[in-house]
Amino acid sequence: MPKGTEIDNQKYLIKQLPNATAFVNVDFEVVYASDKWLKLYNLKASEVFGKRIDYLYSNSNNQITNTLSDCISEKVDKTFEECKYDPSGKKWFEWHCNPWIDEKENVIGLIIHTEDVTHQKLAETNLGRLRSKLDIISKIGKIGSWEYDLAADKLIWCAVTKKIHEVAADYEPTIEEGIHFYRDGYSRNMIAMAVHDAMTKGTSYSEKLMLITAKGNEIWVQANGTPVYENGQVVALRGTFQDINEKVISENKTKASETLLHTLIDNLPLNIYIKDKESRKILVNKSECDFLGVNDPQELLGKSNYELYDSDIAEKLNQEDQQVMDTLVPIINKESSIRQKNGKTTTFLVSKIPLIGEHGKVNGIVGISHDITNIKQNESKLRDLVNVASLQNKKLVNFAHIVSHNLRSHTANFSMLLEFLVDEKDEDEKKNIMGMLTNASNNLMETLENLNEVVAINTNVGLEKKPILLHEKIETVQQNLTAFLKSHNATIINDVEKDATVKVVPAYMESILMNFITNAVKYRDPNREPIVKLSFQNTNGSTMLSIEDNGLGIDLKRYGDKLFGMYKTFHNHKDSRGIGLYITKNQIEAMKGRVAVCSEVGTGTTFNIYFNEKD
Amino acid sequence: MKKIESICIIDDDPITVFGVQKMLSLTVSCDNISSYVNGKKALDGIKKNLEEGANLPQVIFLDINMPIMDGWQFLEEFIALPSEEKVRINIITSSIDAHDKEKWEHYQTRTDHLITYNNKPLYKQQIAEITQKA
Repeated sequence: MPKGTEIDNQKYLIKQLPNATAFVNVDFEVVYASDKWLKLYNLKASEVFGKRIDYLYSNSNNQITNTLSDCISEKVDKTFEECKYDPSGKKWFEWHCNPWIDEKENVIGLIIHTEDVTHQKLAETNLGRLRSKLDIISKIGKIGSWEYDLAADKLIWCAVTKKIHEVAADYEPTIEEGIHFYRDGYSRNMIAMAVHDAMTKGTSYSEKLMLITAKGNEIWVQANGTPVYENGQVVALRGTFQDINEKVISENKTKASETLLHTLIDNLPLNIYIKDKESRKILVNKSECDFLGVNDPQELLGKSNYELYDSDIAEKLNQEDQQVMDTLVPIINKESSIRQKNGKTTTFLVSKIPLIGEHGKVNGIVGISHDITNIKQNESKLRDLVNVASLQNKKLVNFAHIVSHNLRSHTANFSMLLEFLVDEKDEDEKKNIMGMLTNASNNLMETLENLNEVVAINTNVGLEKKPILLHEKIETVQQNLTAFLKSHNATIINDVEKDATVKVVPAYMESILMNFITNAVKYRDPNREPIVKLSFQNTNGSTMLSIEDNGLGIDLKRYGDKLFGMYKTFHNHKDSRGIGLYITKNQIEAMKGRVAVCSEVGTGTTFNIYFNEKD
Repeated sequence: MKKIESICIIDDDPITVFGVQKMLSLTVSCDNISSYVNGKKALDGIKKNLEEGANLPQVIFLDINMPIMDGWQFLEEFIALPSEEKVRINIITSSIDAHDKEKWEHYQTRTDHLITYNNKPLYKQQIAEITQKA
C-alpha cells in the first residue's frame, strides 16, 4: 500500500488527470478516480470510493470481473468494451486496464482508463449497415464499382463488376484489358475516349455500351466514370458499372413494337384516331390527317368535333362518341356520311370502340373509318347499270312476245286457210280463200317490215347524237307535210325559240315530229280545225319539247298503259296501224330520253318529250 | 248436228272471223252468228240485244288483242252483265305470253260463265268440241 502523504499527493494529481481514470486495488475497490471518470459515469466520489468497480455495473459484472482478474494475475494490459444504458440511450465505453505496480514490481491493483466510444461505435455500426446496403443494391441492381489508380496503374474491380464481366473472383484486370472487354467498334472507341478524356481533361462520363463477357456473351452495360482529384491533379478514376442488358433488350423490344405499331397505324388505308372523354383527338394516323387536310398530326391533336366539323355534323359525332363511352358497346362498320367544312361528303364504314383504361374506366374511344365513297359510287353506277339491263331485258321479252304473237297470228291464218282450201270443192269459195291467203301474206310482210324497223332502232342505240336547231327541224317536217296539213286545214304553231338546240339523232327526231304531228291531225276533233302547238323548255339543262293538240283526246285511265304498245289502236280509224307511237317511243328511248302524255277526251292531248343531253 | 241458239265472234282479224264462221257452218247448226271487230262493238251489240229482250249468246269466241277495247276489258264488263244462264266464252289467241294465261285463270275464278283458253290456229275438230252450251 502506498504511504499516506504520497497517496494524498497522488490523490491530488489523479483528481486532475485529463482522462477518465480510476485506480482500483486487487479487490477491485476504487481507490482513486479522476474527476473526468466520475463525470463520465455521473457519480460522486463518496458513492464510488471503497466500492467494487465491477459492481457498479449490474449487467455485465461477471465478464468485467473475469477480465480484471486476468489482468491482475497475468500482469497484462487488457482493453475491452462494455455498454451501459442510461437515460440518453445505449452508451459504449472502452476500458484500458493496466496492472498497477509498486516499486517492488508487485501488482497492487489496476489503473483503468475509460473512454466513451459511443460515437465511434455508432459510426461503425452505421458504416456496416451502409456497406451491407450497398452490397444488396449492388447485387440486385447488378451495379458494380471500380477504381483505377493512375500512379500505380492499377485497376480494381469489385465482385459485382467481375461477375458482370463473367471473370473469376481472383481476376485482376489491367486498364487495357478492361477496355478490351467492350465490343469492337463504337463501344470500344467510346470507352477508350471517355477514359482518356477523364484522365487528361478531368471529365466524367456515363455511356450505354456493349460488352463481350469473358464467356463471350454480348450484353449492354451502363459505364460511369468520374475522376478523383488530389491537389488539383487527377490521381484516380472511380466509377460504377451496371448490367442493363435486360432493360435495354426490353426497351428495344418495346421500341420495336412501338415502331411496328406506328408504321402499321400510319400506313393502314383506314382513318384511325383516338379521342378522349370529351371527344378531343389524342391520336391520329396519316390517313386521318390526309382526310382532314393537314400535314402534321399536331394540328389535329386536342381538337374537338366542333373545331373540325360544322355544328350539325359535330353534334351527331359527339352523340355517337358519347353513346359508345356510356354503353361500352362498340359501333362496328356503321355506314355513315360525313360532310366536311369544305362541303365535301365522304361515306365511311365507321367503327368506334370504347377505350378502357385502368380500373375498367372508359378513357375515350378508338375510331376506325373506312372510306367507301368510291365503292358507294361504283355501287350506285352498278345499280343504274342493272336497272338499265333489266329494263332492256324487259323490253326484249316484251318484244319477243310481240314478234311471236304477230307471226303466230299470221301463220295460224295460213294454216287455217290452207286447210279450208284442201277440202273446198266450190271454185268461187276457193278463189275467195286464195284472196284471203294473199292478204294474209301481205299482212305478214308488213308486220315483218314493222318489226325490222323496231329492231333497227333498238340495235342502233349507239347511233351518234348531235345538237340540232329544233325550230328549224320542225319547219322542215312542216314543209314535208304541207299537202297533208293543208287538206285538213291544220295549223302548226312553232313556239320553239330559234336558237334552241337539242342533242338527238336527227333522223329519229324527224320521224318523231312527223309521227306526233300526223297523229295530232289524224285524231282531230271533227268539230274544230286541228291546231298543233310545239313549245320548248330548258330548265337547268334538262330539255323538253311539248306537242299539244286540240284533238279527240285519249281516255288515259283506260288506255294509258297501252298507248305506246305495238298494234294497239284506240280509235276506229281506218289509218291507225298501232305502230307509230310504238316506234316513236322506241326512238326516244334509243336516244335515252323519255316521253310522257297527258290528255283529256274532247279537249286534246299533250305529249312531252324529255331529251337526255348528257349521254 | 248440234243446235246452238246464238254465237258471237269478237275478233279484229277478218280472216279469223271468216275461218271460225266457216268451221262453225260445218260443225254446228246455228241461225244466229254475229261478229264484232272489237270488244266495245261487241259489248254495245250484246247490251242492245238484252234491251230488246234477247238472251246472251250461248257461245262467244273472243280475241285478246284488239283496238279500242281488248278481250280482257270486254270480259271485265261482260261478267258484270246480269245473266241467268251460263255462257261459254272461248278465248282464241295467238299469244303465248304466260301473263295472258294467268289473266285467264284469274277471270275463271271470278265468274260462273265458262271460260276456255285456245291458241290459234283452230281446227274443225276443236271447234266442234268447244262449241257447245256451258
